[in-house]
Amino acid sequence: MKKTLVVLLVLAMAFSAFAQAQTEAKTSDKPTVRLLTDATGIDDKSFNAAAWRGIVDFYGETVANPASKGKLYDVVTASSSDMYIPNLKNAADAGYDLIVVTGFTWADALIEVAPQYPDQKFMIVDVNWCSQPNVLEYIYTEEQGSYLVGLAAALQAKADGIANPKFGFIGGVPSSTITKFEIGYIMGIKSVFPNAEILDFYANDWGKPELAKAQAKNWYDNGVYCIFSAAGGTGNGTIAQAKEYRMAGKNVWAIGVDSDQYADGIYDGTKSAVLTSMLKLVENSTIDGLSKVAAGTFKGGVIEMSMEMGGVGYSKANPELKAEVITAVDAASADVISGKITVYKTYKEALAAGAAPAGLGALDD
Amino acid sequence: MKRNDLNRTSFIDWFLGNDGAISFAVVILGFIFGTIIVLLVGKNPINMYKSLLYSMIGRARSNGGWNFRYIGETLNYSIPFVLCGFAMAFAYRVGLFNVGGEGQYIMGMTAAQTVALLLPPFPGQWVVCLLAAIMAGAIWGGIVGLLKARFKVSEVVATIMLNYIALYLSRLICLQHPGATTYNTAALPATSKLAKFLIPSSNLNIGFFFMLAAVFIYWFVMEKTKAGFAFRATGYNQDAARCSGIPVVRSISVSMAVAGAFAGLAGALVLLGGAYPKGRIIVSMDNYGFNGMAVALVGNCRAIGTLLAGLLFGVMKQSQSLMQDMDIPKEITYIIQGLIVVFIALRAGLQLVREYRAKRIVASKVASV
Repeated sequence: MKKTLVVLLVLAMAFSAFAQAQTEAKTSDKPTVRLLTDATGIDDKSFNAAAWRGIVDFYGETVANPASKGKLYDVVTASSSDMYIPNLKNAADAGYDLIVVTGFTWADALIEVAPQYPDQKFMIVDVNWCSQPNVLEYIYTEEQGSYLVGLAAALQAKADGIANPKFGFIGGVPSSTITKFEIGYIMGIKSVFPNAEILDFYANDWGKPELAKAQAKNWYDNGVYCIFSAAGGTGNGTIAQAKEYRMAGKNVWAIGVDSDQYADGIYDGTKSAVLTSMLKLVENSTIDGLSKVAAGTFKGGVIEMSMEMGGVGYSKANPELKAEVITAVDAASADVISGKITVYKTYKEALAAGAAPAGLGALDD
Repeated sequence: MKRNDLNRTSFIDWFLGNDGAISFAVVILGFIFGTIIVLLVGKNPINMYKSLLYSMIGRARSNGGWNFRYIGETLNYSIPFVLCGFAMAFAYRVGLFNVGGEGQYIMGMTAAQTVALLLPPFPGQWVVCLLAAIMAGAIWGGIVGLLKARFKVSEVVATIMLNYIALYLSRLICLQHPGATTYNTAALPATSKLAKFLIPSSNLNIGFFFMLAAVFIYWFVMEKTKAGFAFRATGYNQDAARCSGIPVVRSISVSMAVAGAFAGLAGALVLLGGAYPKGRIIVSMDNYGFNGMAVALVGNCRAIGTLLAGLLFGVMKQSQSLMQDMDIPKEITYIIQGLIVVFIALRAGLQLVREYRAKRIVASKVASV
């Protein structure tokens, strides 16, 4: 009995000691935000990294030195998908001004949680079917950006004097979103080489670079000139393989996705195996969402981040990307914005128009 | 003086002979090393303990009030850990190393989802879902048991292979479910969902009682029944068991099937427990099955031990979110879990120490006579 009392007392004391450190006044009038990510986290060098960069940029800080992390903004990574709903609720209970989630895998959880917290503001990237008054949804016209990188790769091959270049596409988990990347890329290539052979492969995973690396090796060995991967962390395997082969003197390229992956492909100090990157500027969404919260104009709904709005583009970071290619791609970019070039969003449309070959792994909803 | 010596000897011997005490010490050791690592990376370990404590007692960080939902999530996370722990433990007591908890878990989940989505909704559908999951897990484990008992196929290799077969088979099956896209299916009908209890804002559901029932069943079967004795005897020494008339072949295949049933149930409880509004098409493993191996080893493959270890893992899982809130990398929970498992492996070494001490005591007694 006495022992139990002592234990209880000690516990109570320990508890009160913990309870004291509760005074964390929020001194700034800037909004607070939490980013929730899937298991790959903000080190995925693409999607989550971009969302995080946008948040950090909004507060005028850098990713290398996020001074206000933990005060104004933070990030919570879920290690498995059964943590999505609890993590959303944890964030909503903690009282952030805005909760950001990225990717369609979060949609079901968000649709479940958002109505339970009607005063909480949420935003999601890459989803347009939540239809909740407190959820701001951003979608991107990835097909437009992918068109540009496909065009750039094809023009580069032409400038290199390659007669019958082959091209590869590596996707993560097949979905209507990834299909937009693939179709745009194919249309870009076909505008230069109407009969080019295009191969595709889906890794069914966002975090398995070894799968992409093995596939890329196989393709490069069989004469593929350039591979575009839209596969999150998986795509890093493509870049690794392209790097190895370029160091060995082969003329092959990888194309980065979402973020500018030029730096990931650097070899020999100055050269990069990443010819260009399809830029999906997710950071612009988080910046936009946060600005809306700060200005008090936040409203649920769908916003399409098109090329015109600066949502997508391509990277000119690699000096080996020929000047004439850049000129031509920029011209095409203007044509896309003006509507002179229409890029299809679904495999079905592209098939019907004869813009994509049959038998690809791309899936529509 | 002499008496004191004797006492000290007996404490060490008691400690070395008590698996529960060793497990406890190992967990403490894991946390001590975890604390050191947190300090080394320049973070405040108090925050780590705070988030663990808050997950256990349901205290909110932001407004200094209470948030009992944390307790609910913690308990809910521990359900699959405990059940998958039994999937490991049940086989382990029979002398088998079941690495296939993950595959059995996946098959259970797949079976439950198939029943939930393909049958028209009817009241009490969740019961059928759970039964289907238990059956599927039992079959998936039983295959290995049969292969092991009949053809001496290594259960380790077989279960590892079956994990991957389960993952891709599950994808094949689930892609045929109604409303299947590339990553989810149609919504799970309400009749297949498990009812929430106690803390309705959390995902805590009546699956918790099934987990508690499993603890009791495991304890009762293993420790109190003739069949349990046959299982354990097979585990200690197969040849001796066979010579004493214990049907070893049956023990091995049945034990793997029972182990699979526990993991299969875990799969169904995770799917129907509120974390998933829609059916799943898994792209990778949830790792509950693999973590269950660690849970069972920490819990020393005993009923209460596995329960406590599973609860500990549940606390660590829920606290991941709170830890990141307080600028502690969530990976520290994995490091601690890993350290605990590594230290648990030292138990064999402690056994040697114990034997050595026993020999020395006998020797000194002989000398003193």
